[in-house]
Amino acid sequence: MGAPEETYFTPVVPMDFTYNYRVGPYITRYLDGFKDKKILGSRCPGCGLVAVPPRKYCGVCNKVMEEMVEVGQEGTLENFTVGHVTIEKGRLAPAEAPYVLGLVKLEEATSALLARVGGIAPSEVRTGMKVKAVWKDEAAGDYDDLDHFEPV
Amino acid sequence: MRNVGIVGIGYTPVFVSKRKDVNISEMISEAVEAAFSNTGLGPKDIDAVVFGNMHTFEGVNLPHLWAADYIASLGKPLMRIATGGTTGMSAFHAGYYHIASGLHDVVMVVTYEKQSEGDSQVGLMGIITPEVMAMIAAGIDVTGGSGMGAIGGGSAGGISFQASSYLHHSGAGIEHIDEQAALERRNAAKNPYAHLKDPDATAEKVAQTPLVSWPIRFGHICPTSDGATVAILASEKAAARITEKAAWVHAVANCASDATTANLIESQITDPAEHLPAIIASRQAYERAGIADPKKEIDYVEIYNGFAHQALMYLEKIGMCEVGEAHKLQEAGELEMSGRMPVNASGGVVSTNAIGTSAMNRVTECALQILGQAGEHQVEKDVHKAVAHGWGGMMQYVTITVLGDKPKKD
Repeated sequence: MGAPEETYFTPVVPMDFTYNYRVGPYITRYLDGFKDKKILGSRCPGCGLVAVPPRKYCGVCNKVMEEMVEVGQEGTLENFTVGHVTIEKGRLAPAEAPYVLGLVKLEEATSALLARVGGIAPSEVRTGMKVKAVWKDEAAGDYDDLDHFEPV
Repeated sequence: MRNVGIVGIGYTPVFVSKRKDVNISEMISEAVEAAFSNTGLGPKDIDAVVFGNMHTFEGVNLPHLWAADYIASLGKPLMRIATGGTTGMSAFHAGYYHIASGLHDVVMVVTYEKQSEGDSQVGLMGIITPEVMAMIAAGIDVTGGSGMGAIGGGSAGGISFQASSYLHHSGAGIEHIDEQAALERRNAAKNPYAHLKDPDATAEKVAQTPLVSWPIRFGHICPTSDGATVAILASEKAAARITEKAAWVHAVANCASDATTANLIESQITDPAEHLPAIIASRQAYERAGIADPKKEIDYVEIYNGFAHQALMYLEKIGMCEVGEAHKLQEAGELEMSGRMPVNASGGVVSTNAIGTSAMNRVTECALQILGQAGEHQVEKDVHKAVAHGWGGMMQYVTITVLGDKPKKD
């Protein structure tokens, strides 16, 4: 007896789901700051940690962070990867060119911010490099106002 | 707390890309039948059933109820556990709690994944959606197209930062990741229940596979597999009736960090490879197991490595060697089946990944090594104590199980 013939059903369910994720007051303040090309964080009254973007709780101290602080536009590249693929609508595709995503620890911040790194060849990027924020000309209070970081 | 032993293990006959010949419940039942056959037990001997698989990966909600009559659970307590990649070990831990607490004597833990069915993207929606929300909270532009969205979408995007950081801090090179992948695919060739097998795998061959996100190559990444694993657990008294030799649980532990992608953007941690949960959970487990020096007292390790570098990285995190030492042990051949610290003789997750089973198989593979029943992939040294590691959740959750060849003394 050979392998049984494969029988399966492919149900197509015509439904469309929309999620409306409310960002909350902390991210709202963060994006408001973008309109003035400022980067805001929140400071923990317990340990002094400065989280960028701002968040409500310090998980270490279990304290509410009420104080908002502006942090510097320059920082250190803590870590990076070089992307060779992209995901478009759930499908992998080769990237047009290798691109760099980095974790940037801004001056006065204790956290790292994920951002594109540009203005440098991927092969030249090194952990520990000093980088600075590059903004779009017209800031509208959206995430992509902060376009990328480039070497100082 | 009562002692709990693993008295029976059952796998589906194969772990492969596509089990076209059976449906989900039928495939799961094969592992149940194998566990019964291996122990001489039957449905009447099972007090309760714990079930685990990834959230909606087959597009099936409540699979434990779909499969209820295929897993000997009718008329019995039944619960499902889903904690992401760690699911298999979380389900095992739940089975352990059932017996250690004194509530039940014999519990069957059933785990599976049939990833060829449905669209993993549908399943991942249950993970992507909260992860995207965590990314928004972390200041990431999720609408920005290339790369930024990929971080949350699959662990391959986020994990490249972890691998990059691991290389930076350990002094290892991408060639060590290549070799780890090759080593485990060679091991897999000796395991009948492994998926990707290559007896002739070499670092050079792995190095020829394309880069996905530096330093992660295609050859470093796990497959998607169809398969199921069952473990039968018993109290000391019940175990004595069932078998002469069991693998005993000496400790379980688990730990999470905050709900962002893999320590990537926590406000406290700027190193995506710091992975505090692995350090905390392993130290708690060793303390509970009465292990003072895991390097000396543990004979065998199974690491959950969806990506090849994680075997090396987590050996360091769970205290099996010093930071920066794992790749040197690899160079010295110590991580091989013949080595002093054999790891993933099964081939690891990088060779076989039916996700619901993946963290469970780390435990069952440790048990088989302790019982001397691993067959062709039995390691050369005697295994008295072993540690199994699980990694999953939203990439920031770790489970640990320590097993021994004798019941734990109080």
